[in-house]
Amino acid sequence: MASVKITDLHKTYGTTKVIEGLDLAVDDGRFVVLLGPSGCGKSTLLRMIAGLESITAGDVLFDDKRVNDVHAKDRNIAMVFQNYALYAHMSVRKNMAFSMRLKKTDKKIIDEKVKWASSILGLDDYLDRLPKELSGGQRQRVAMGRAIVRDPDVFLFDEPLSNLDAKLRVQMRTEIKDLHQRLKTTTIYVTHDQIEAMTMADEVVIMRDGVIEQSGSPMEIYDRPNNLFVAQFIGSPGMNIIECRVTGENGTLYGAAEGLQLPLPSGANVSVGQNIYYGVRPEHFRSSRQVAASAGGKAIAGAVRVVEPTGPEIHVYAKLAGQDICSISRERVIWDPGEEIFFDPDLDHVHLFDGVSKKAL
Amino acid sequence: MKSSRAWLPRWLTSEHPFPWLLPVTSLLIVFGLYPVLYSLWLSFFKRNPATRKEKFLPSWNWNKLIEDDRVWDAVQVTLTYASIALFLQLALGLAIALLLDSDRKGFGVMRALMTLPLVVPPAVTGMMFLLMYDSSFGVISNSLYALNLLSPSAPILGTGSTALWGVIVADTWQWTPFMVLIMLAGLRALPREPFEAASIDGATALQSFWHLTLPMMSKIIALAVLIRGIDLFRIYDYVKVMTDSGPGTATETLTAYAGTVYFKSANFPYASAVALATLIVVLVTASVFIKIFKVRF
Repeated sequence: MASVKITDLHKTYGTTKVIEGLDLAVDDGRFVVLLGPSGCGKSTLLRMIAGLESITAGDVLFDDKRVNDVHAKDRNIAMVFQNYALYAHMSVRKNMAFSMRLKKTDKKIIDEKVKWASSILGLDDYLDRLPKELSGGQRQRVAMGRAIVRDPDVFLFDEPLSNLDAKLRVQMRTEIKDLHQRLKTTTIYVTHDQIEAMTMADEVVIMRDGVIEQSGSPMEIYDRPNNLFVAQFIGSPGMNIIECRVTGENGTLYGAAEGLQLPLPSGANVSVGQNIYYGVRPEHFRSSRQVAASAGGKAIAGAVRVVEPTGPEIHVYAKLAGQDICSISRERVIWDPGEEIFFDPDLDHVHLFDGVSKKAL
Repeated sequence: MKSSRAWLPRWLTSEHPFPWLLPVTSLLIVFGLYPVLYSLWLSFFKRNPATRKEKFLPSWNWNKLIEDDRVWDAVQVTLTYASIALFLQLALGLAIALLLDSDRKGFGVMRALMTLPLVVPPAVTGMMFLLMYDSSFGVISNSLYALNLLSPSAPILGTGSTALWGVIVADTWQWTPFMVLIMLAGLRALPREPFEAASIDGATALQSFWHLTLPMMSKIIALAVLIRGIDLFRIYDYVKVMTDSGPGTATETLTAYAGTVYFKSANFPYASAVALATLIVVLVTASVFIKIFKVRF
């Protein structure tokens, strides 16, 4: 086990800058998820930690030892690849035993380890099969088995679940988390799937264009996004964002957009005339057939467009002064398309972002 | 709707496969099947060199073949030649392919240049090496003299123990690029991820090569060995141009012997038997190889 520290890391391909001055510290035993849209540099970062990609500038440290020039084979890491990268001509057993065979580990120990890993991963019956004779989920587990028999200092996962179907993905998610809780090995996990990130991580690191936008616990990131990008990236359906300008009326401040007056939380750090983004998560955007009392006579009214019942909750999409808005409710209200609907934002959970810097206010 | 050529028999219409297969089938029959069958027929005759008369005596030539020491010598030379050349070309081909398998600048040009020897006609290659081996002005001979590896009293192609090697070098110079080409095609098609996984699993470059590259390339290597092996069995031009089977019969391969019997002794029936024997050896070896290594086309 080891801690991983990255300081002022840079990566460029020719003139293209992929990672620019990135700092990251992963404490021993933590499960950190690198999350971001395609092309944000998260996979490159992971591959640099693995030693598969050269480092343009900056340092990667394992347990405070610089490993920039240490070859991948000597870093004692294990990695699970998106497309599994199994050895096609070797049986499941040999795939898992490969690293130990290279180290000339005692055959008895190899057998024991393979047995241990296969029982954890439910691969006992498949040990003598070739990868091509396995399903996607089984191959994924072989790739994990190959990683855990190693007893690595750090686990690296590169979008390991993105080739699996939805049901299997949920199942593997739980298995990986369970595995981490048992083994307590430092883990760095790359994904573009926010649900994976939220459900598995001790700490989520959100990246965009080679820079860390925000890092923190999943709930911290969800509840207190640092900036507009993070606010929009996390959450599904996404946060409702309404561009507006702060206006004052009788000492009360409002966010005014075309045909709308949105109440601001008391003590909001804004001034009259400022352009802001007004963000409310769907579940904090209560909907009803009556004008809410808190609206102070300024009804936020729209027209229902689409209703999506998901089972536990109902997603209502509506047009609000020309903008698409989503509201989630757990009440079984039946809406008809075109019906008038009133919204009431939960002021404790309203997020305001500066119109220029897009940072949280 | 009625076709305008309804008067044609059905097997001559475009819906029937026969008209489509006819051109290539007839070529194969005329230039492939007929000569083989005719040789077989010819091999059943005994030729009297004095009277130039031929008499039907089916077992004569085949018995002679089995008792002919020159045939067995030729089989031995052919096998030696083919196996040494095959090994050299395979090893060099794979090694060069590994070196050229890179996307760095200039490697594309090098890969293209690599194929140049294949453009030279084999007989010209033979002539070229003949000149380079020449004991008075040949660059190869003179270099070897300088290194004290060769004495002017034993010219490469004129000495029984080295003549075959001389021919093998020419063949290898010409045909290694073919191996490189096949190996490169295979190497370039290998997925990158298993190699990354192996390096994380702690494999050195050599271990990766041994445990991943070779097994993953085995099908391609088997195919290349088969193609080149069959080709090497039929070796004729290099021997003819460079040594003409000499000195003595030190470099006489089966095809070279067949050629000598055909064109020098004009014993067509016996030469046919020798040529057919070559075909049989190639067919048997190739099918055993295909069975053992499970080659798929």
